[in-house]
Amino acid sequence: MKIECQERTRHDCLRVLDGRDNALDALQKSELVVIGGTGFVGTWIAEMVAALNDAYQFEIKLSLISRSTDQFVTRLPHLANRADISLIKSDVRQMGQFPSNADWVIHAAANPDVRTHASNPLDTASVIVDGTMSVMRTAERLSRLQKLLYLSSGLVSGAQPETANGIAENTQGAPTPDASFMYPNAKRFAETICSAARVQSRIPVLVARPFSFMGPYQSLDTPWAQTTFLSDALRGHQIRVKGDGQVVRSYLYGSDAAYWFLRILTAGQSGDVVNVGSPIGISLQDLAKEIAKNFEPSPDIMFNTAPRSVGRSAKLLPDTSHAMNEYGLSVFTPLEEAIKLTAQWHRLQAS
Amino acid sequence: MEQNQKIRISDPTLRDGNHAVAHQLSAENIAAYCKAADAAGVAIVEVGHGNGLGASSLQLGEAKTPDHIALAIARKNLTQSKLGIHVIPGFATIERDLKPALALGVDVVRVASHCSEADICERHIGFSRSEGVEVWGCLMMSHMISPPMLLEQARKMESYGAEGVVFMDSSGHFIPEDVRIRVETLVNGLGIAVGFHGHNNLGLAIANSVAAADAGATLIDGCARGFGAGAGNAQLEVLVAVLDRLKYSTGIDLYKMLDASDLAEQTLMKEIPTIKSVSVVSGMAGVFSGFMKPVSRIAKEFNVDPRDIFFELGRRKIVAGQEDIILEVAKELAQRAQKGNS
Repeated sequence: MKIECQERTRHDCLRVLDGRDNALDALQKSELVVIGGTGFVGTWIAEMVAALNDAYQFEIKLSLISRSTDQFVTRLPHLANRADISLIKSDVRQMGQFPSNADWVIHAAANPDVRTHASNPLDTASVIVDGTMSVMRTAERLSRLQKLLYLSSGLVSGAQPETANGIAENTQGAPTPDASFMYPNAKRFAETICSAARVQSRIPVLVARPFSFMGPYQSLDTPWAQTTFLSDALRGHQIRVKGDGQVVRSYLYGSDAAYWFLRILTAGQSGDVVNVGSPIGISLQDLAKEIAKNFEPSPDIMFNTAPRSVGRSAKLLPDTSHAMNEYGLSVFTPLEEAIKLTAQWHRLQAS
Repeated sequence: MEQNQKIRISDPTLRDGNHAVAHQLSAENIAAYCKAADAAGVAIVEVGHGNGLGASSLQLGEAKTPDHIALAIARKNLTQSKLGIHVIPGFATIERDLKPALALGVDVVRVASHCSEADICERHIGFSRSEGVEVWGCLMMSHMISPPMLLEQARKMESYGAEGVVFMDSSGHFIPEDVRIRVETLVNGLGIAVGFHGHNNLGLAIANSVAAADAGATLIDGCARGFGAGAGNAQLEVLVAVLDRLKYSTGIDLYKMLDASDLAEQTLMKEIPTIKSVSVVSGMAGVFSGFMKPVSRIAKEFNVDPRDIFFELGRRKIVAGQEDIILEVAKELAQRAQKGNS
């Protein structure tokens, strides 16, 4: 990891924390465990914790549990080698070693890669469902546990109703129950496991439903619109938009997301469900144009394989009224800025 | 119907047609036809061994023109048409075949698998996508699974990064209603484009292609004079004319397409594909059209009826790549006949 890239992600965290650090005071001198801690979300939480400790003397002890700690050490030594961050290599389904003094737990373990969902739906389900069962059993033994935040998915309510501006936490709906939708169905069931653990074992668990994110640490190898467009542009290729470009999504920047998760974890009440994402939608056509603006020469944008009609809802946006009203959260990094920061970071990292 | 709906035409004359001449298309053949198809305004011209990139081999037939020469010549002669390749993972590897092909200027990569095996396409689709070329998934022998299962496989290809999915009626088994149901299922279930590739065993390749277009497919395959495996493919110049009558826009100049087809007839093929009796049987049985030649040959060798071989292959759900089974089936049929006579 290049020093300039580290400085940029640190700056992103400090920018978000500026004037807002007090809202995370509950984390001071506590132990936080992030399960599935080496992915995009876990890495940004680690960055945020490092910033809180270095700039605001929070003295948080952070443990990251993951199957991929070796890669984390190689990729991110500036985080892996810190004294306040511990790495525990473990599969979420069989966690032998777990910090017994954990005050806070974030359960983020799942593979978000749609290719894995398509090729290995049973393994996808196992990590999510068996993993969540395992986390709840472990949480029963944590005497100091204040709260456990489960990272579900914005897809658990199925398609966004045509008439709605966004999916609210109480939107009625469900994903189609077939293998193609194993990920959201498993996430939905995992939410039920969380609910059962709260009822049966009194575990103080709440749920965050992440939508789409963007930023450094997101692999450009993943076949999502924002990553493939960036990858195309960085490689000097034309940006190829799948479909007709009218699909609407929204993106929350990595440091914003990390702050949102920590805020919901510390301020939320057991049983709450909170959407995490940006409510500001953008069509993929416009997203491609915004990304293209950051490159010189500006890449061409191709729409030549558009389907004639799209049967599925073209919009998927979170209604974030609850996060804004109850937790004082908002989008700190506007999309234009998020795209610029992400493109610059990847360019620097590749140079 | 909406006027001037666009249909992209992908032309595998120089790839599927290679099946019909034991992969013996020459560099001159490729150059001449590419020039003609390009002049006609065909959107995509697919070039290569019948089984695609890297498939030239003793078992599948050795190509007269190696991939790198075929692609280089095609590239040189295509100015407005895109250059496409058919890629079956296993036959084509990324390092040995795909990378050099892309370096030669391939524009469109169509990564194909048997209809129920889309998983094998992940790396090839991902690699092609990351290299910035247009990439489609192709599901071959699509009659062998139900429309919902076809959608599941197509969704895998979409998740791997395919920009569209073509389902192939490799054995010419479909009737228009079969095609309509599948296209509608795919169009409603995918966020990417849908294409259709028809064979003519039951004389329905054009009707099936029209059904596909009417149901929402935006890419249709067709070969000049139907030059392709078995009974041949949807006859391209006829397809263009019919789509024109139906007010679809293909961007193809009909006269120049007719000229290209005349050229194909004169220079590429030993005989114009026709629906022979065994082709009808292979279509009925749902067996890959490309089996026609080996089945006919082996049937003669064992003195059995090739139609019986086709129906038995269909019963066993044999697919391309399992050519060895033809011999086994012929042998069993011969033994059965011998027992019956004794």
